[in-house]
Amino acid sequence: MSLLDFLNFHLVPGIVLGSIYAVGAIGITLVFGILRFSHFAHGDMATLGAFIALALVTAGMGPWSALPIAMAAVAVIAIGVDKLFYDYLKARPKIVTVMASLGVALMLRAVVQVVFGVDPRTYASGIVRPDDYFGILLRDRELYTLAAVVAIVIGLALFLRHSRWGKAMRAMSDNPDLARLSGVDNRKVTMLTWAIVGALCAASGFMLGINNELHSMMGWQVLLPMFAAAILGGVGRVEGAVLGGLIVGIAEELSIFMLPAQYKAATAFALLLLILLVRPRGLLNGKVL
Amino acid sequence: MKRRTIAGLVGAMLGAAVAAAPAHAQDVKIGLMAAISGPIAALAPPMAAASKLAVTHVNEQGGILKGGKLEAVLGDSACNPQNATDAATKAVNIDRVLAIVGPACSGAVLATANSVAIPAGVLMITPSGTSPEITKLKDKDLVYRTLPSDDYQGRALARTLKARGITKVAVAYLNNDYGKGLAESFKAEFEANGGTIAGYSGHEEGKASYRSELAALARGGADTLIIFDYGDGTGLSLLRQALENNFFKTFVGADGMKSEGLVKAIGAANLGGFFVSAPVGEASASLDNFNKAYKAAGENIDAVFATTSYDAAFLAALAIEKAGGDKAKLAESLRAVAMAPGEPIMAGEWAKAKKLIAEGKDIDYKGAGGDHEFDAAGDVPGSYAFFKVSGPGYESIADMK
Amino acid sequence: MDLLGLANYAVFMGILIGIYALLALGLNIQWGFTGLFNAGIAGFFAVGAYASAILTSLPASGRLGGYELPLVVGWLAAMAAAAAIAWPIGKICLRFRSDYLAIATIGIAEIIRLVIRTEGWLTGGVRGVTGVPRPFGDLDYMPSQIAYLAIVATLVLVAYLLVERQVKSPWGRMMRAIRDNELAAAAMGKQVEARRLQAFVFGSALMGLAGALFVHFNRSITPEAIDPMIATFLIWIMLILGGSGNNRGAILGAAVIWIIWSVSELLTDRLPTEIAVQAKYARVFIIGLTLQLVLRFRPEGILPERQAGSPPHR
Repeated sequence: MSLLDFLNFHLVPGIVLGSIYAVGAIGITLVFGILRFSHFAHGDMATLGAFIALALVTAGMGPWSALPIAMAAVAVIAIGVDKLFYDYLKARPKIVTVMASLGVALMLRAVVQVVFGVDPRTYASGIVRPDDYFGILLRDRELYTLAAVVAIVIGLALFLRHSRWGKAMRAMSDNPDLARLSGVDNRKVTMLTWAIVGALCAASGFMLGINNELHSMMGWQVLLPMFAAAILGGVGRVEGAVLGGLIVGIAEELSIFMLPAQYKAATAFALLLLILLVRPRGLLNGKVL
Repeated sequence: MKRRTIAGLVGAMLGAAVAAAPAHAQDVKIGLMAAISGPIAALAPPMAAASKLAVTHVNEQGGILKGGKLEAVLGDSACNPQNATDAATKAVNIDRVLAIVGPACSGAVLATANSVAIPAGVLMITPSGTSPEITKLKDKDLVYRTLPSDDYQGRALARTLKARGITKVAVAYLNNDYGKGLAESFKAEFEANGGTIAGYSGHEEGKASYRSELAALARGGADTLIIFDYGDGTGLSLLRQALENNFFKTFVGADGMKSEGLVKAIGAANLGGFFVSAPVGEASASLDNFNKAYKAAGENIDAVFATTSYDAAFLAALAIEKAGGDKAKLAESLRAVAMAPGEPIMAGEWAKAKKLIAEGKDIDYKGAGGDHEFDAAGDVPGSYAFFKVSGPGYESIADMK
Repeated sequence: MDLLGLANYAVFMGILIGIYALLALGLNIQWGFTGLFNAGIAGFFAVGAYASAILTSLPASGRLGGYELPLVVGWLAAMAAAAAIAWPIGKICLRFRSDYLAIATIGIAEIIRLVIRTEGWLTGGVRGVTGVPRPFGDLDYMPSQIAYLAIVATLVLVAYLLVERQVKSPWGRMMRAIRDNELAAAAMGKQVEARRLQAFVFGSALMGLAGALFVHFNRSITPEAIDPMIATFLIWIMLILGGSGNNRGAILGAAVIWIIWSVSELLTDRLPTEIAVQAKYARVFIIGLTLQLVLRFRPEGILPERQAGSPPHR
C-alpha cells in the first residue's frame, strides 16, 4: 500500500470526519464546561440542523448559502429548548437535566422523521470525483468543510479570549457564583451559550450531510464519538475538543488495520474508556467535573 | 389520585380502540406487520403500500368470502421482537386477523411465529425475512415466505457471475441476517465454482465513511465489488464512495440494492457498471400487472420487496377464500392455491380466482415476485433476473439460473 | 367486543410488563438506591438472554450450543453471566461521575451488541439463537401464556420481596447513606466502592434474568432485540415515571409506560395509512414528551421514595 493510498483513503477521510466530530465536540464541551451537564440531545440537534438546510436547498438555495441560515435557526431553537425543557431543572441535580436532554433527543428525532421521512436524502444528487492536488485527492466540499472548521475554531477562540461576552462565558465556566458576583448575567450567558451550541450543531450536521447522506439517525450515531472527542481532549477546552475530534476521526478510519470493519464503531468507545481510565482530565487538561 | 387518573386514561384509550372494531360479520382482517420504525424504516412504506394494493384488488373485485370486505390492520414491528410480538398479539387477539403478512425482519419473524402465530393457529407469510433459521421453525405448517432464503439468491448470483466471465470479486456485506446470509452463500458457491474472493468484509450501518473498508477491499486486486446491502441505506453510501474514489469498475448487488432512490441520488449516467439481481415471477405477465397497478397507485415499481409484499397479501386472501374463512384449513388452502397444478392466476386477477374457487376448481397463483411453489418447510426456490440501470429505473438483461 | 381476545392481549402485556419490571427493579437498585446512572441496560439484558439461550437450546451448526441443559440452569446462568460481566465493568467505571458513567455504559452496551453481531461462533451472529425451549410451550395459546405469566409474576414477586427486604435492612440504609453523602459515609468507615459494586452487580443479575425470561418466551434471540431504544431508554423512563428509589414505583412505571406504548399503537392503527406510518414515529415523540412532563411536574415519580427523614440531597 503506497503512501498516497494511505493518505487518500485513510488519513484524509479521517481528517474530514475528525473535523466534523471536532465541531460537534466543541458544542458538547461548551455545554459541559459552562452548563455542567452532558447534552444527549446534541446529535439530534445536529440532525435537525442538517434537515433544515435540506429544506432550504429543496426550496432552491445552494447548500453552502443555506448553512448560515440553518445555523441561525438552530441557534434559536436551542435557546427555545433550553427555556422549555432545561431551565426549570436548574436547581435540581444535573443528572436530571441529562435525562431531560435524552427526552429532547427523542422528540427532535421524531419531528425529523415525521416531517422529512426516513429515507436517506442528499443535498445534491450525482457523484463528485475528487481533484488531484499533487497526488492528494480532495473534493471541493471537503476543502470547504476543513476551511469552515478552521474558521469556526479560530473565530470561537478569538471570541472567547477577547470579547466581553466570551470572557463572561469563561468566567461562568470557571465559577458561576463568582461570575455572578462580578456582574455577569448568568441567564444571558446561558442563552448565548445555547445559541453558539445550536449553531455549531447545525454546522456539524450539515457537514456530515454534505459529505455523506442525511438520514434521521445520523446525529445519534455520531453522538458518542463526539462525546469521546470532547472528553478525550479535556472537558471545557475548545482546543481540546478539536484535538479530540481529529484523533477520534482518524482512529476510526485507521482502525481497519487492526480490527474487522464491523468494530469500527467501537473505536470511539475504546478511546473514551482508555482516556477515562488513564487520564480523566483529558489530553489538554480540562476539568474533571 | 395520580394512579386513578392514569388508569382512567388507559381504560379510555383501550375502550376507544376496541370499540372502533367493525360490525359486518363477513368482513375479514389480515395483519400487516411492517418495520415502520427501526433500521429498515425506509423500506417499509412501499411494502405496506404493495400489500394494501392487494387488499384493494380483492375489495374491488368482489370482496372476500360472501362479499365481505377485506381489511388490512397495520402494525409496527420496528424490526425487533418486543414490538413485533406486541403488534402481532394485538392483531391476533383484538382484531382477530386470520393471517399475518410480515414481519419484515427475520428476528421479528422468529419471535412472532413462536409466541403468537403458531400458538394461535394464524397463517404467517413474510415477504422479506430471509434467514435460514426460519426454515428450521417447527411451525405446524403455518409460516411461509414469498421470497427465497438468502441461500438461493446468493448461490444463483455466484453462478451468474461465473457464467458472465467474472472470476475475481470483492464482497462487502451489511452485518445483518440479510447481508451476511447472502454473502455466505455467495462465497460458498463462488469458490466452489473456481472463483476467487479477493476481499470479504462486513460493515455496520450508519458510519460516515466507508473509504477505508473500500480501500482495503480494493487492495485485493478485484475489479468487481459485490454489495450485499440496502440501496436505501448504507448500500448507497458504499456505492457512492466507491464510485467517487475510483475503487472498482463493476458493482453487483442483490435485490436490496435495487432501489430507485439510489439511481436518483447517484445519477443513472454514473451507474453504467452497476447491476442487481432480484427475484421475478416466471410469467412476466404477472409482474407487468403488478407494475401497472403499483405505478397507478403512485408508487415506484423498483421498491425493494414490493412484489413479494403484494404476493404475500394476495396469497393470504386466496387462502382465506379457499378455506371458506376456516382458520384450521388455512395452511392446506394456501398450498392448494399457490402450487401447481391449477389454472394460472396472475397478480390482480381476484375476480377470476374467486370464480374458480367457487366452482371448486384448482388454481395456481403465479405471483409478481415468483411462482411460490412452497416446499415442505414453507420456503420457495425462486427464479431471478439480472438487471442493469436504465433511465430512472432498471431493466432486465438476463435470467439467472 | 371480544373479551377473550382482550384478556389474552392483557396476559401478553402482563408478561412483557413483568419482564420490564424486572429490568426496572434492577435499575432501581443501581440508580434509585445507589445513584449509579447505568445507561447500558441493553448489554446486561443481552448477556443474560444469550447465556440462557446458548445453554438450553438445540444444537446448531457453526456455533457453540446444543447443551440442552434444563431451564433452571439456563436462568441461573443468565444471572451469573450478567453479574460476571457487571463486575469488571463496575470495577473500572463506577469511579466515574454519573454522566461519565452513563456515557461509558452506553459505550459498553454498544460494544456488547457489536460483539454479539459479529462473533457468530458464539452467538450465531446476526442469525441469532433458535430452538430455545419454552416452559409450558406445548399448551394451547391462552393457557400457555397464562402459565408463562404465572412464572414471570412469581419471579417478579420474589425479586421484589428480596429487594424490599434488602432495602429496609441495614445494608439498604447504608446504600442510601452512600448515595446521599458519599464523603460522610466514607468518613464513617463504610467501604463505599465495594458496596456500590455490590449494588451494580446485583442489579445487573436481575437484568440478566429478565433477558432469560424474554428469550424463552420467544424461543429465540436475535441481535435486533438489543436495540437501545427498547431495551434501555424505555426502562429509564419507566423508572423515572414510576418513582426511582421505590420498588413498587419501578413495577408501576413498567406497567404504565408499556401500556401507553402498546395501546397508543391501537389508536394510530385506525388512521389512514400515510398518517398511520407517521404516527408510528410519533410514538417516540410521545415517550420523550412524557419524560419531560414527568420531570417537570412530578419529578419524584408517581410513587416517590419513602423517606425516613429529610429529602435526599445528591
